[in-house]
Amino acid sequence: MIRALGAFGLGIARLTGALALVLARTALNLPRLDRRELFRSIVLFGYRSLPLALMAAMLIGSTVVLQAGVYAVKFGARLYTGWAAGYALTREFGPLLLGLVMAARIGARNAAELALLNVNGQIEGLRGISLDPFRILVAPRVVGSAVAITCLGSVTFLVAVCFEAVSSYFSLGLPLRVFFDSYQDMLRVGDLVGGLAKTLAFGLAIALVSTVAGLRAKGGAVGVGQAAASAVVLSCAAIFSLDLILTPFLTRLFG
Amino acid sequence: MSALLRIFGAPAILFARTLSAIRQRGVDRRATMVQLVEIGSNSSLLIVSGLAFFGAVMVTIAWAQTRKYTGNITVVGPAYFELMLREFAPLLVAILAASRVGASTSAELAAMSVNEQIEALELCAADPIAELVTPRFIASLIALPALMVIGTVAAAASARLVVTIVFGADGSAFTDARFVDATDILCAFVKAVFCGAFIPLAAAARGLKAKGGAPAVGEAVTAAVVDASMGCLLIDFVVAAAFLLIGV
Repeated sequence: MIRALGAFGLGIARLTGALALVLARTALNLPRLDRRELFRSIVLFGYRSLPLALMAAMLIGSTVVLQAGVYAVKFGARLYTGWAAGYALTREFGPLLLGLVMAARIGARNAAELALLNVNGQIEGLRGISLDPFRILVAPRVVGSAVAITCLGSVTFLVAVCFEAVSSYFSLGLPLRVFFDSYQDMLRVGDLVGGLAKTLAFGLAIALVSTVAGLRAKGGAVGVGQAAASAVVLSCAAIFSLDLILTPFLTRLFG
Repeated sequence: MSALLRIFGAPAILFARTLSAIRQRGVDRRATMVQLVEIGSNSSLLIVSGLAFFGAVMVTIAWAQTRKYTGNITVVGPAYFELMLREFAPLLVAILAASRVGASTSAELAAMSVNEQIEALELCAADPIAELVTPRFIASLIALPALMVIGTVAAAASARLVVTIVFGADGSAFTDARFVDATDILCAFVKAVFCGAFIPLAAAARGLKAKGGAPAVGEAVTAAVVDASMGCLLIDFVVAAAFLLIGV
């Protein structure tokens, strides 16, 4: 029991230490990022994930309206569907579901690539020719995936709101103008900024966690698979805990 | 359209092959129990903590909004409980399970397939589907509804605790089953069963297809998790829409 507790505590301390190390070395390397690797990772993580993000946005938008619409009718607040659905989407469901889907795609991908380099000794090789792997591999990826997820988040919100409007037109018979009027009257810029801030935080968490998982990989092909799997699981856990920490904070900040 | 085919095509074929393998070879009880521990018990910590966090977050948001417009947070309690039980808990449990189960299943099968252990099984006259896929399929089919129940309990309990302790209001409304009827529970279980069947099939389809060296394992894991979570989102949407169309 005590041994298990100790191992658990040690594991957490190691993980936090590794996360802090990666974050600090990324921040140190910010002024001299490898430009080509940065663009490559933005294309790889952002542009290539666009179809997935759009599909997720369509589903999230329609599902939120299907779920909230029943209650809007029940409480006689049909006219406020635009506000309720928009608020739920920008503040909670958009960032959360996009974060979970991107944890699966970007997190697993990044961890698998880094783990493969690590297992094959290519990262040692970089050190051997006195190139800092953090400067040319890790920092551009962390920055690139955080930027990519925030951009994807704004596109996702836009597409999801359009799908919410269409879906409330079909399921509740709500005219599009009424939907967007209540959306415009009752939502403020702060709500959108809060949602994007959440998305950025999730993106940074995914990037850091998957990098740590990738760099810690040991032992051949099995290690690569395990690194990808643990990156996804740890990213999901990180997203949920960040959500809990950020929500009261953002609510106080943006009302 | 091609994305739909890609996500559901291979799992559908694998589903048919799994059914015929179950008919011909039966189910290996022991392996199923092992997978039940791996899929059900080992995912429960992630799912309970995730859903508990989610319940607390949703209540915090509801608190901020009701203070602005209606005043009393406990008014939304019963509706919140129904929404949690019917929609949110099944969706989030399915997505978390898709990440966790999808990643571990596809990593294991892809590593076996890359190391040619699947061919070795075939050489021993064993059916890889009956040996590897069937136990995972049955175990996940049993485990997902159970995980969904645990997750719903965790979310509702944390909502009630947060309202009572942090906001100092009466939290018992958040476990008030006034609006819950049989169709809500049926809807939740239909989602859980469909997702439970889909996740291991999608992951196994990607894992068994992995070819090449170590990079193939990482690629299989990525593709499997994406397939599984997108598939679960789609299943959730279709089931919710179907229940809405029937009008219950």
